[in-house]
Amino acid sequence: MIQIFDVVKMYDGSTPVLDDISMEIGKGEFVFLTGPSGAGKTTILKILFGWEPFEKGQVLVQGINVGKLTHRNIHTLRRSIGVVFQDYKLLPNKTVFENVSFAQEVIAKDRKTIKFKTWKALKNVGLTPKKDAYPAYLSGGEQQRVAIARAMVNSPSIILADEPTGNLDPHISIEILKLFEELNHEGTTIIFATHSQEIIKLGNHRVINLNRGKVDTI
Amino acid sequence: MGTLYSGFRTTLSNILNNKQTFALSVATITISIFILGLFLVLFLNLNSFFLKLNNQVQLIAYLKDDITASQKSILKKYILNSPKVESVTEVSREQALAEFQSNMPDSLRALLELDFNPLPASYKVHFAEVNNRFNHIQKIANKLKNQNGIESVEYGEDWIARFERFMTFSRVFILALGCLLCFGLTFIISNTIRLSIHSRQDEIELMLLIGATPRFVKIPFLLEGMLQGLVGSVLALFFINGVQYYLKKEFQSSVEFLAMDFASIGEPILLGLVGLSISVGLMASYISTFQFLRLINKN
Repeated sequence: MIQIFDVVKMYDGSTPVLDDISMEIGKGEFVFLTGPSGAGKTTILKILFGWEPFEKGQVLVQGINVGKLTHRNIHTLRRSIGVVFQDYKLLPNKTVFENVSFAQEVIAKDRKTIKFKTWKALKNVGLTPKKDAYPAYLSGGEQQRVAIARAMVNSPSIILADEPTGNLDPHISIEILKLFEELNHEGTTIIFATHSQEIIKLGNHRVINLNRGKVDTI
Repeated sequence: MGTLYSGFRTTLSNILNNKQTFALSVATITISIFILGLFLVLFLNLNSFFLKLNNQVQLIAYLKDDITASQKSILKKYILNSPKVESVTEVSREQALAEFQSNMPDSLRALLELDFNPLPASYKVHFAEVNNRFNHIQKIANKLKNQNGIESVEYGEDWIARFERFMTFSRVFILALGCLLCFGLTFIISNTIRLSIHSRQDEIELMLLIGATPRFVKIPFLLEGMLQGLVGSVLALFFINGVQYYLKKEFQSSVEFLAMDFASIGEPILLGLVGLSISVGLMASYISTFQFLRLINKN
């Protein structure tokens, strides 16, 4: 499903952020991507959904060679991936419902489908009572659940989560982890980047440990 | 269809969020198209005046004093057989003097109490109304010059040529003004759209992150640019028509003595101005969105 071969990514042309990294993640797998700050976790995720270019190597996502995609066709890859960001990236002038439906609007789904799927996604994350609220009036955990609903609403086969519990209290972090595990039970491949050892211990999943741009342990 | 509908909704939301910038841009377009329209009105009327004068031009062939009757008769036949000549009127030396004296103010008439008549006899040649009449007269005048018995020919070539040069300059001026205004408008609309893009930068980035196509991102801004062009030019047309109505009402009697009608900008040109304005809006917004997307893709 996801194959990374000998990938090198430099910043400023000389400092390697990812130094000859290789890994494979199978279909339907739940993987923790961990390591200290600056280890390259976010960079790997960004490379996987085509937001960051890389200097060397090859990245295949569901058979798509990411390095060969151009800005004209990169959307085909991004539509098969749901992304959850640490800072949620919710639109402040849209309600919870609109934020989730936005992910379907941009891929030109019809109104009826948008309404049905948004409702379903909000139900799955337990946020239907807050559907008309604006992000500013939600707690951190609730905002992250909106972001998860938005990532899952188009039923992607892969979800990339970049420190999704980074700003949350431990008990809310557990709830969020459970949400991802439920998605994984339904067959979605999950890559969960975190530096929290507590979260990793709670979930019984494969761990890929990064350190200074290299894979330490798989 | 869904993309276009969603584009329209986003465009309206963009406009509502940036009402002042949109209004300012529309006002600039209105003023620019209005200025261009005013120059067009001026040009059309000058052109119509020029054509009227052109059609009134007649050729006068002055005859030599020693021309014989048979030479005169041959010459008259030659002129009448020339293409597009409607009629020839002979003006004798005496008639010429009488006409000249009648046109003189009384105070100067004493100066003309000469012992001899200095004015030559002439043929006044009247031409039919044809296209390119002036060039046609010019050709016949050049041929006549070389005929026996002709002293000189005159058809006001100097001032007509000068007027023609002025009209050519006016055409170039209007074209240059049009280009300059289009360039200025492109710059202004493109900056307005850039402001609109920057106010939605996070949203656009998110759109791209979650799988929107570049076209989906561009459409609302392209529509916004086109809408600015449309609204601005329609308002300008409204003002241009107002000015035309006023000028016609106030000055029609002044141009009537020239047997002219006040020339107004026709529908095709008016529609052309709207089309030009929409195209400039589209081009300007395309430049802004293209630059923004290129910047995002580079990062």
